[in-house]
Amino acid sequence: MPFVLVGTRKGLFVLSSDEERRDWEVSGPLLKGWEVFHAVADPRDGALYTATNSFVYGATVHRSADRGETWTRAEEIELPEETGLTLEKTWHVEPGREGEEGRLWLGGAPGVLFRSDDAGTTWQTVESLVGHETRDKWNPGAGGMCCHSIQLDPDDSERMYVAISAAGTFRSEDGGESWTPANSGVAADFMPDPFPEVGQCVHKLLVHPARPERLWQQNHCGVYRSDDHGRNWERLEGNGLPSGFGFPIALDPDDADAAFVIPEEGAENRVTPDGRLGVYRTRDGGASWQLASDGLPEPAWCAVLREAASFDGGGVYFGTQSGSVFMTADGGDSWSEAASQLPPILSVEAANWP
Amino acid sequence: MLAAEAGGQRRFEVEADTVADALRSLPVSNLVFDERGDLRRLVNVYVDGVDIRDRGGIEQPLTGAEEIRLVAAIAGGAAYST
Repeated sequence: MPFVLVGTRKGLFVLSSDEERRDWEVSGPLLKGWEVFHAVADPRDGALYTATNSFVYGATVHRSADRGETWTRAEEIELPEETGLTLEKTWHVEPGREGEEGRLWLGGAPGVLFRSDDAGTTWQTVESLVGHETRDKWNPGAGGMCCHSIQLDPDDSERMYVAISAAGTFRSEDGGESWTPANSGVAADFMPDPFPEVGQCVHKLLVHPARPERLWQQNHCGVYRSDDHGRNWERLEGNGLPSGFGFPIALDPDDADAAFVIPEEGAENRVTPDGRLGVYRTRDGGASWQLASDGLPEPAWCAVLREAASFDGGGVYFGTQSGSVFMTADGGDSWSEAASQLPPILSVEAANWP
Repeated sequence: MLAAEAGGQRRFEVEADTVADALRSLPVSNLVFDERGDLRRLVNVYVDGVDIRDRGGIEQPLTGAEEIRLVAAIAGGAAYST
């Protein structure tokens, strides 16, 4: 049964439907009082994990093995004292691969990655990233120096990627033991050198699940595609997009040339352009983009955060800071509102109950 | 939120030498203290109705049957993220 986890500033909501994805039932809020920066269902066993934050009680991870009925909280998530850093926020939980029992990855601020091998009870700092030789060139974006994207290569058990704002994309070929900057061709227009080794403000990074050498990213400075595991990037704009600025990006698991972005006017006015909530779709690898907004509200001045879009084999989903969830089950030809009047939406993640 | 995180339990009876030790024995201690062991800035602690910041701090000894209350600080009106 398809469902969508919607993390908000006021807890977690679950949207449930059937395979047609026409009608959605909203349940929640779960984890009342917590800001749910990201929620995910582990495809290995259906357990739910959340990157949960409170302005009073700090940053943590919650786990539920019973579809949200009861939750347990991780033990203290600590950074090594000698780093002089403390955990500011948890941002993204990424389940490990099939066969990697109990393994999960957690991204957080300030630019940190953790690994769990006991299903999220304890978390170990990935010291190769927290102590990366380029770290003194990283800077926080408006949301803090968040490690928000963690992508595992489905074909190579040692290859993975993280993206940090504003440090850039990093690739590991040895399961996280070491990290190589993967930002060649990605602009950092706000820096004195607009093409530095690191310091790029990635907003969201995705690996195509069926063609893992192909990566996509929505960046502070444009939309990009790489066809060589992030070694080189091509900027994809000036060809139908009203703006290169935006936060989320979504893909089509059955079509590696398709992608969806939701542009905003720009860094100084973070709202959808032209008074319209517009999704832009490419079906040619980013060579051209077309507005796909049939069924979306207009006029509308919306903002969609970096974690607030998702996709599965049956649809693309996104949530706005105005509390609406929109989805398409026909590749973006038409959209419908699956939920409305929720608290400001921080994250959207599609999944299936096993 | 603290009660929910403690499985719905709102009241605990503990034996401890100090306020800090009493709080560290709770199942929500890692929400009350940060990763360096400091009391979180927006958690207020009252011992028999007196703010511990006005009465010896978190390490003050407990002498008898004191009541300790944990209260999230009032932070209303913040324009962002609350």
